[in-house]
Amino acid sequence: MRLEKCWFCSSTVYPGHGIQFVRNDAKIFHFCRSKCHKNFKMKRNPRKVKWTKAYRRLHGKDMTQDSTFEFERKRNRPERYDRNLAENTLKAIKKIDKIRSDRASDHIKNRLKTGKVQRQKEARKQLELGIHLVKAPLALAQDSSLCLPKIKDNVSQAQTEENQPMEE
Amino acid sequence: MWQFPVSDQVPQISGNRQACGNSFDKQQRTFIQMRTVLKVVDNSGAKKVMCIQALKGKKGARLGDTIIASVKEAMPNGKVKKGKVVYGVVVRAAMQRGRCDGSEVKFDDNAVVLVDKQGQPIGTRVFGPVPHELRQKKHVKILTLAEHIA
Repeated sequence: MRLEKCWFCSSTVYPGHGIQFVRNDAKIFHFCRSKCHKNFKMKRNPRKVKWTKAYRRLHGKDMTQDSTFEFERKRNRPERYDRNLAENTLKAIKKIDKIRSDRASDHIKNRLKTGKVQRQKEARKQLELGIHLVKAPLALAQDSSLCLPKIKDNVSQAQTEENQPMEE
Repeated sequence: MWQFPVSDQVPQISGNRQACGNSFDKQQRTFIQMRTVLKVVDNSGAKKVMCIQALKGKKGARLGDTIIASVKEAMPNGKVKKGKVVYGVVVRAAMQRGRCDGSEVKFDDNAVVLVDKQGQPIGTRVFGPVPHELRQKKHVKILTLAEHIA
């Protein structure tokens, strides 16, 4: 039994699933489901199809290089069964999986960080311009406690968040 | 590099797993039945054979089955001549065949290896990939001659 990777979307194909297509030059294509198979028949390039792993890796959306990938290399030599080895391998698989998924989500978080900062800046600017929608300028002038706080990078985020829900 | 199907068989009668076909003229994935033209992938001399009977199977032959065929096209100097009636083993079928682990395999075209009545191949070489379903059908000789086992 072997867990293959879908040729199109790079997800794992478990036993009992999918179709294996053997081309006449003896190249074997595994597909996890008919969606991938049909895309292949349409001659679509997975590197151009947005939802595939190939596209995501190519365009830097997902982590490409990591030491955890080394553990998942394809090995063609069957190992002699050893209970200890099997037990340790199963434990290691769980741990490595967790580490890999954590690193992958960190990668995505870092990638989205600049966008988040940008959006907050824009929100602050919009609040400044549209403060008259939130509180009448007359009220602001009279009651100075309601005025906008001085914009400082770390501290202001908590304070602008108070004003933002009102605007929404 | 995408190879277009060589044979011109379009059987419509028997049950097809893919109900709606593709709009491109790709191969119809059905059984191998009477009038199906198959490619010959050994060096027995024949090039194309037309199936005249599928032994075993009401609807037709599948991957790994034996058929009786008539040689339609042959090389000028070969062991078999045009018009001869031969037996053949289907080594590649466009129709998917279920494997014992639950997955399905399918090939690019329909191909056959000519054998004699006892099941021994007439030719001495086999081209292209062959499935390991042949082992279960006791066509071990074809497997040994094959260059790639899928």
